[in-house]
Amino acid sequence: MKGLAALIFIVVLTLLLRSTALTALAARGIVVDVLAFATVVWALRCGETWGSTFGFALGLAADLDAAHWLGRHALLLALIGYGVGRMSRSMVRDSARTQAVLLLAATVVHQAWVVMFELGGLAGWSYLVRRVVLATLATVPVGTLIVAVVRRVSGQSLFGHAATQADPAN
Amino acid sequence: MGGLLPPAERRSSAVLGAYVALSLLLLLTGERIPTDALRGIGAWLFAPLDRIVLTADRMVAGWRENQKLHERVATLEIENLRLRVAGVENQVLRAQMELPPWHTQPLKPVEILALAGEPIPTAAVLSAGRRQGVNVGDAVLTRDGLLGRVGEVYPNLSRAVLLMDPNSALACEVESTSVLGVLHSFASPRPRLLLTGVPLADTVLIGQRVLTSGLSRRFPRGIPVGVVKSVGPDPSGLTHEIEVAQSAQLSRARYGFVMGGQPAVVGLP
Repeated sequence: MKGLAALIFIVVLTLLLRSTALTALAARGIVVDVLAFATVVWALRCGETWGSTFGFALGLAADLDAAHWLGRHALLLALIGYGVGRMSRSMVRDSARTQAVLLLAATVVHQAWVVMFELGGLAGWSYLVRRVVLATLATVPVGTLIVAVVRRVSGQSLFGHAATQADPAN
Repeated sequence: MGGLLPPAERRSSAVLGAYVALSLLLLLTGERIPTDALRGIGAWLFAPLDRIVLTADRMVAGWRENQKLHERVATLEIENLRLRVAGVENQVLRAQMELPPWHTQPLKPVEILALAGEPIPTAAVLSAGRRQGVNVGDAVLTRDGLLGRVGEVYPNLSRAVLLMDPNSALACEVESTSVLGVLHSFASPRPRLLLTGVPLADTVLIGQRVLTSGLSRRFPRGIPVGVVKSVGPDPSGLTHEIEVAQSAQLSRARYGFVMGGQPAVVGLP
């Protein structure tokens, strides 16, 4: 029940950010892919079942907001949530490099998928590449920084995993 | 294959399979599902939260805007005085030429609570709805120009379909030359507004203003839409390909106006 409440809270928060604070940046062509970021973080923290559930719920809400192509965000974010959740078992989740690589992959795949729907195929591939590159350049550093800041401020690991470096005392 | 996996992994695979199947089903049939009511509920739920999130942003922006507005008020007071004199003169001249009197239409100020669509917004949630006299088809504009039209109306909120929506079409004319065309949003190869259906024989210059034309039954004539950004022949070689830079700045859209009074025509641009 607590997990479900947290899921709903994060979904609402993500959608709020996307429709308010981030729209000014998006209108200037800089898309911070907050949907991919939230899905990656949630899947890293909670695993593949909750990751795919979160991705699906968040994607469906974003699809409803967009009014076109119902299911396009939901499908890909569910897959990203599942994939990241599965991989999170076998990687050091607190490593900034791991988070950056996962964010990069998720943003590239998500943006390419979404833009292909808007373009109706690969006709405008140069725009697609530019949009994907810009979104990746914006999302990866910002996302990694946010995770690091939250970790520093809260004083504990977000993902409950071993540290990236061996304890020098051992 | 499923039997080889441990129970937890089988469960998560089944959950994922259900989500994928549901998403594909929605992709195939989603356009036929009526989602207006769901979006209405969403807009109602999110409106107070949108206001809270926007408060901090608007406080900072409001401070800067206040300084600019003081200057603008002084300028507009002087201009208003000049326009009053010109207005009286205009009425006299129209009467002499036996032209019908000019009717101004009432503007309802609204707050733009949220924008939907990335990177170019295609829809906006407005802070006024049916109870405030907003109707489907009303024009939505800012001080810079036309934003779009009201597409869905809820009791206290409404949702505007912006010009960049792929399904929007708008009858326009080029200022001073009255060259007519239809403004469409194109996503490929990049999101842009194109004035279509303008024959190559018509002369259109970069920098000319594009306004709503009298041929649009949803919008009154003469609302600024944008400025001609580039002109060239379209792939068919029969008409111009005219790119229009939208006048209304979406990145700064916080307040707007709803212009009612036009009859709502279902199924027409």
